[in-house]
Amino acid sequence: MSTEAANTNRADMIVCENVDKWYGDFQALKDVSATIAEQEVVVVLGPSGSGKSTLIRCINRLEAHQQGTIIVDGVELTNDLRNIEKIRSEVGMVFQQFNLFPHLSVIDNVTLAPKWVRKMPKAAAEKKAEELLEMVGIPEQAEKYPGQLSGGQQQRVAIARALAMEPRIMLFDEPTSALDPEMIKEVLDVMKDLAHGGMTMMVVTHEMGFAREVADRIIFMESGEIVEVGTPEHFFTNPTEDRTKLFLSQIL
Amino acid sequence: MSEMTSIKTGKRPEEVSRSPSEWIRQNLFSNIPNTILTIIFGIFTLYAIRGILGFVLSGERRWEAVATNMRLLMAQGYPANQFVRVWFTLGCLMVLTGLSLAIWSGKGRLSVKKISNWVMSTGLGLAVFAALAPISASSRLGWVIAGALLIAGGLGLWQRAKNKTTETLHTIPTVPFSFGFLGILVLSLWVVPFGHYAFTNGELVAETGRTVAMSTKLPFTVMWLLLVGTYCLTNLVRESLPIAQAKACLVGLWLLSPFILNWIVLRDPDFDYGHIVSTDIPLAALFIFVGGGILFMLAKPSLGEIGRLTAIALLIFGVFNWVAAFFGWYPMLQKVRISFVLLALAALIAPNFAADRKTRLKFVTGWAILILISHWLITAVNSPSTLELQGPTYLGGFSLTLFVAILTLLLSFPLGVLLALGRTSSMPIARVLCTGYIESIRGVPLITILFFFSNILPLFLPQGMEIAELAAIVTGYTLFSAAYLAENVRGGLQSVMRGQYEAADAIGLTTSQRTGFIVLPQALRVSIPPLVGQAIGVFKETSLVAIIGAYDILRIANNVVPAQTEFLGVKREGLLLVSVIYFIVAFSMSKYSQRLEERVGLGER
Ligand SMILES: Nc1ncnc2c1ncn2[C@@H]1O[C@H](COP(=O)(O)OP(=O)(O)O)[C@@H](O)[C@H]1O
Ligand SMILES: [Mg+2]
Repeated sequence: MSTEAANTNRADMIVCENVDKWYGDFQALKDVSATIAEQEVVVVLGPSGSGKSTLIRCINRLEAHQQGTIIVDGVELTNDLRNIEKIRSEVGMVFQQFNLFPHLSVIDNVTLAPKWVRKMPKAAAEKKAEELLEMVGIPEQAEKYPGQLSGGQQQRVAIARALAMEPRIMLFDEPTSALDPEMIKEVLDVMKDLAHGGMTMMVVTHEMGFAREVADRIIFMESGEIVEVGTPEHFFTNPTEDRTKLFLSQIL
Repeated sequence: MSEMTSIKTGKRPEEVSRSPSEWIRQNLFSNIPNTILTIIFGIFTLYAIRGILGFVLSGERRWEAVATNMRLLMAQGYPANQFVRVWFTLGCLMVLTGLSLAIWSGKGRLSVKKISNWVMSTGLGLAVFAALAPISASSRLGWVIAGALLIAGGLGLWQRAKNKTTETLHTIPTVPFSFGFLGILVLSLWVVPFGHYAFTNGELVAETGRTVAMSTKLPFTVMWLLLVGTYCLTNLVRESLPIAQAKACLVGLWLLSPFILNWIVLRDPDFDYGHIVSTDIPLAALFIFVGGGILFMLAKPSLGEIGRLTAIALLIFGVFNWVAAFFGWYPMLQKVRISFVLLALAALIAPNFAADRKTRLKFVTGWAILILISHWLITAVNSPSTLELQGPTYLGGFSLTLFVAILTLLLSFPLGVLLALGRTSSMPIARVLCTGYIESIRGVPLITILFFFSNILPLFLPQGMEIAELAAIVTGYTLFSAAYLAENVRGGLQSVMRGQYEAADAIGLTTSQRTGFIVLPQALRVSIPPLVGQAIGVFKETSLVAIIGAYDILRIANNVVPAQTEFLGVKREGLLLVSVIYFIVAFSMSKYSQRLEERVGLGER
């Protein structure tokens, strides 16, 4: 969809420069630098344990990095609480395990943050939530509780919950990995719609079809490092790095 | 495919209903070992029942000791000329109950089958009673006939219910059923010759063969009418009421009622109006306007970091006042100290109301109401009572037991939650303080704490400030039980998954919002069983207040009644009654907790 040339005109939404992250003595991110432009869709690939989750969790400060800088939408991530709160209301996140709030109904899950963080009036928040549930294809489930929904429906509610804050960036950490095969498509379809709508997205996934079709760029990580970055075409047809080739040969 | 499923998803098959005899055969006599067990336990139970009946109905039992002292057991020496206050209190609770039942529209329905089971069981119980009780042959025959009639009636009901298919004929609404049941009990006061026993001017009056005194049956009838009347009237206008607001209002009234009914209605404070005009009203106004102004500023959306710093400074100041009070550095009214702590807590949650002017004004209004109520209550607690007391406290007997238990639970619950949050928080100081508090309280017996609060605490209080005996008991007991509640809540907190915290953070909730909306609701659900266990413990252990001189129901039954010249040494009857009362209350609490667990769907996920 968008070309390299178009990207250069757009503002940078996420900038990581020389980011290092340790868990105790274990270094989970090694000198990671990456830039994601507005409306760009970037898919992060890599074997398990390579630091994909760690990277995107650093971007909304669910994890704190120790060295380097991360700038999201022009705001640098430091220990300053105000910046973190600002970033978190600008960045939506979808988790592998959905993490819906089991004690709240679907509609309450979706309206909670708009009401209390954005201070939106109740009626407006509910109207917005209904639109979002319509968009993700489950308008009729608003009064149910998460435990009463299928995995695919729960993940779509989770997407609606993140979108309710009207974020400028969406982060997805393996959104389909916990789903039964027949439900993967319904979630991917919602994500595709989002991407076509111009949302800036960073997606960790093992769905190669999605990566090929939707991604503007692919970041390949291994053992905490970014090994290779490129367009899907470049990545799937003639990757330069041996480690990338090895990975692709294992999964394709 | 879809056609297949539509064929399969027919109506869920009706549960096969078994007749009582079938039930007995399948559950009690299904095979030989089961039959032997049933017989052995049956004989055992019958022996036990015979023993208890022999005890209760023995000619040596003097139940009139209990009947005569019923008022003493329930309300101890509450002045007879002011006794209407006790009934007023009960009446208020009846009105609140009626309102709540109507507003929450108790839609529960009892199945007729269940009722028929109850009737049959009662009949069976009567038959067993007739067979085992040491009574004359003629009355034995009477009881057997009554039992047989009940069993027949129950069976009849059961047969009728079996053939009804629609839900409405199958079941009847619970609320009217309970009202009817209570109505029959009240009616029995007017018709059944329970006898009239009382001390009138120190003389024992014992009249058998008549109904209970007017001073008993009339108030209870009024109570029943209040309950049913409020319920019916509210139901009439329910449609035109704003239900959400009414519910919030009722919850507030329920939470306030123990404090107001106890300290205002029952204790009847003798307000010193000079002091109120010169000090209390100006103080309240100061906190409402200056404190409210500060809070209004703190809720400004643009404030940011300064708001947090101010709130923390206020909190430190609020805590420091208490430290200063402990060492006697400077005098300060207790009320002011409490208000400063409240102000600090309000300042901490102020950012949650950082929005348009209207939201902020709502927040400040809430603050004003809080100050008004708390100042009024503190003044009331600190004013002497008008009652001419015979004992150390104006409450005694079962009402003391109930009030200490209810107030302690109401106060220690929020405190326990705060302690648990502090103990699990990431702030090192809060963690150390809360852990230290919890562990040191749990290392000290309740009796020690009660002694401390009734004897030693008054020495620490600033000059001129006294703490009423009951307030001292409740304070000490609250601090004690909060430590245990905190541990129960902590268990629940630990069961909340990490992903819940992350999801709450990711949608931008602040720490206090995350705690209030996401973590606590889930933690408390998990903690319901241990919390109710703790609540039952609090209720039962109120009997320890006897040790510091208060007269609770157990002490009256054990020490006071047996010391009366008319009933010298008559102890067993009272103790049996007290055990039954304790059992009924504790058992209902445990039953209620089971229903609560089902309602919130514990174990469903
Ligand atoms: N909280 C943590 N504590 C210690 N090590 C962690 C933690 N989270 C992740 N790791 C380690 O960091 C590495 C990268 O993890 P992660 O980002 O989850 O990988 P991926 O998502 O690519 O599978 C793994 O080796 C993992 O064991
Ligand atoms: Mg991962």
